[in-house]
Amino acid sequence: MTRLRMRNISKSFFGSYANHEVCLDVDSAEIHALLGENGAGKTTLMNILYGIYRKDGGTITIDGEEVDFKSPKEAIARSVGMVHQHFTLVPTLTVQQNITLGLKDAGYPCSRERQRCAHIARLATSYGWKIDPSALVRELSVGEMQRVEILKLLYRNARVLIFDEPTAVLTMQESAQLFEMFKLLKAQGCSIIVITHHIQEVLEHCDRVTVLRDGKSIGTERIADVDAKRLSSLMIGRDLVPVARERDRKGSGETILELAGYGFARSGTKRGSVDLSLDRSEIVGIAGVDGNGQKELLETLMGLRDHVSGNAFFKGKDISMLSTAQRRTMGISYISDDRHHDSLVLDMGAAQNMMLRPGALCETVTHHLIDRRKMHRLAAEAVESYGIKTQGISEPMRFLSGGNQQKLVLARELAGRPDLIIAFQPTRGLDIGATEFIHHTLLRMRDAGSATLLVSTNLEEILLLSDRIAVMHEGMITGIIDNDSPDIMRIGLMMAGIDCQGEKT
Amino acid sequence: MVWTGGATLAVAIILIVLVGSDVPLAVMSFLKGIFGSTYALSEVVVRATPLMLAGLGVSVGFKTGFTNLGAEGQIYAGAIAMSATAMLFPSLPAPLMIPLVIVVGFVAGGAWALLPGILKARFAISEVIMTIMLNYVAINMTGVLVRTALKDPSYPYPMSPMLSNTSDFVQLFPPTRIHGGIILALLALLAVHVLLFRSRLGFEMRAVGLNSRACACSGIAVNRALIISAIVGGGLAGLAGVSEIAGLHHRLIEGISSGFGYVAIIVALLGKNNPVGIVFASLGIAALQVGSMAMQRTAKVPTSIASIIMGTLILLLVIRDAKRSVSMPEGGA
Repeated sequence: MTRLRMRNISKSFFGSYANHEVCLDVDSAEIHALLGENGAGKTTLMNILYGIYRKDGGTITIDGEEVDFKSPKEAIARSVGMVHQHFTLVPTLTVQQNITLGLKDAGYPCSRERQRCAHIARLATSYGWKIDPSALVRELSVGEMQRVEILKLLYRNARVLIFDEPTAVLTMQESAQLFEMFKLLKAQGCSIIVITHHIQEVLEHCDRVTVLRDGKSIGTERIADVDAKRLSSLMIGRDLVPVARERDRKGSGETILELAGYGFARSGTKRGSVDLSLDRSEIVGIAGVDGNGQKELLETLMGLRDHVSGNAFFKGKDISMLSTAQRRTMGISYISDDRHHDSLVLDMGAAQNMMLRPGALCETVTHHLIDRRKMHRLAAEAVESYGIKTQGISEPMRFLSGGNQQKLVLARELAGRPDLIIAFQPTRGLDIGATEFIHHTLLRMRDAGSATLLVSTNLEEILLLSDRIAVMHEGMITGIIDNDSPDIMRIGLMMAGIDCQGEKT
Repeated sequence: MVWTGGATLAVAIILIVLVGSDVPLAVMSFLKGIFGSTYALSEVVVRATPLMLAGLGVSVGFKTGFTNLGAEGQIYAGAIAMSATAMLFPSLPAPLMIPLVIVVGFVAGGAWALLPGILKARFAISEVIMTIMLNYVAINMTGVLVRTALKDPSYPYPMSPMLSNTSDFVQLFPPTRIHGGIILALLALLAVHVLLFRSRLGFEMRAVGLNSRACACSGIAVNRALIISAIVGGGLAGLAGVSEIAGLHHRLIEGISSGFGYVAIIVALLGKNNPVGIVFASLGIAALQVGSMAMQRTAKVPTSIASIIMGTLILLLVIRDAKRSVSMPEGGA
């Protein structure tokens, strides 16, 4: 029996569609996966259902009755509940206080704590969980916190439970327990929607799956009818073909970067470890689903996080204990995926943002004072040669478009031709023109002799630019392949952590 | 700015009416208290001197994202160090004594801000609380010292002996009380301007204040910038203490600063943390205070009204700035 029916849901932000005519049907007593890459529109769709966003078009019916939630409160009243990726608990309150937060039961404002605790304990026991309602939330483990989140919904009689990437913060064991919980909830007749990009989870634990890609629903399948291969092709897109480009040179044999068992910390107690080498005039792309340790690896490489074990050799020297400034001064550049926070001072102009580098690399400083004429000249040259559209080199970066902001980041980071460029999603959120410019620039730097470590969740970008492709899953490189005739299917499977038989280097 | 000023003025007039004073008389005495005579005007400058120095110190911190609310304590630290030095070397000639007390005062003020600076930089401990609490330490330490180690044995009052007159700042335009402190303040103004807007270090400090995360990613020493800004800011406030002792009191007493360190925060806010803005802000606030004293004498309006007006003004300015930053357009994503 269909409990939830979403028909032709559309939602656009600033003129571009996050959801376009998306359809989703969820039965009662079903675990339904919402599968898709980052930015496919999964969370947007669920935020619409939960009343956080208002839809632009389409209809939502629950148990045959049309609904239009204006707030999560209304959604909860119609027994729809959501557990967010980042928990919404108050750490200094008890489990009971968190669960009943905002509720007015009989006798309000005199709350009957003991009764509430008993109710919660009963509820938890009926699912076979042990939980102390008077424990402080901050003393719970992440898995237990998640149970509190679930109890919060059950206490409010939610029958449709939405989970946004529930396993992202959990260990393997906790994940297994979570899916056991789902089965119990399903046995009670609850509908469970799981947002995920992990194909394996979908195959092992769900009943049906709806795949989203680029804001559109690609289709709904029974798990019994699909395999990993089909799901990954649905998720990534069949039309993905490697773009032919001339590969006159790849690598010169001179090793620029060598990672040997390079261990880094991921969220919680998770660890990642990477072996990888990078030659001069080579672009190595790291493909992978977002959140598999890419950001942590790159930030550790830049000295922004403490590394855990192993070594990183840059041109033969171990850099793993050096400061960010020292690494940069040696010739490592970093293009972050978050230019607003990591790369730019938005309230300063182009000229000053060009100076945002270690003092030793800053050519516009003599005797600690800024040579303003030189600063303006260099900035004007950068604006000119990178075609940055700005009202002037003093105009705050805040007022520039994303593409122009990123061009300035490139102008700064590529100045002086660094030996190693670490590029993390360098075209994130950019339009086609700016994206092409940045791809072209990175290839030009490769031909000029820079080694580039390119990390992107956009497989097309990886295929387009890389000489070799490494696939990252759960903090590990699951395989490295040449980009001469890449088997896209196999990359997709490796991204899902299924195939590990790649030739490891 | 117009409605902020208007609203503040309205609050002032309502308050004058509420205390039962004659509004025209009060306004007249206020204006006369500021512009009525050369001496009145000179008093504005005298009062603006410590405000300028301490306000400059606060602004250096604010620019770097170091919310230094401890200028008051740093003023006292500078004053204590300066007095102790002058008492220790009473026979030092002025050409040595003046630079020495200036350096000592700067170092003492800087040291007073150093601990919060280090704690913020290393452990991300809130400097706001630390600096405020250290104010009480410095203020009460002064109280202890003028009763013990630095006490003048020949008087029963809690104060230090008159300092050697080689430590006195020159009176610039006698009989007015304008003293060499104003020259010190203007030199400091120039130095801060060069530091913040012409030097690499100042650029790093401002960048850290605007986006410390981007600075860390770019290999700029965030902690160094923070700590230096704490030292420089505290040092400048310490100079305000030196200037008050060497220019006006010539001895250490309790209450050498009547809240200059707190008013300095208002000066920095009003002056938008800009050295030139701080000149005008400190003169304006000083005029408000001097004028309100005249108003009390003539129209029986309590001087507390000046504090209320300053409070109102700050509230309105903060609201205005908050509204502005909310409506600030973001760059394209």
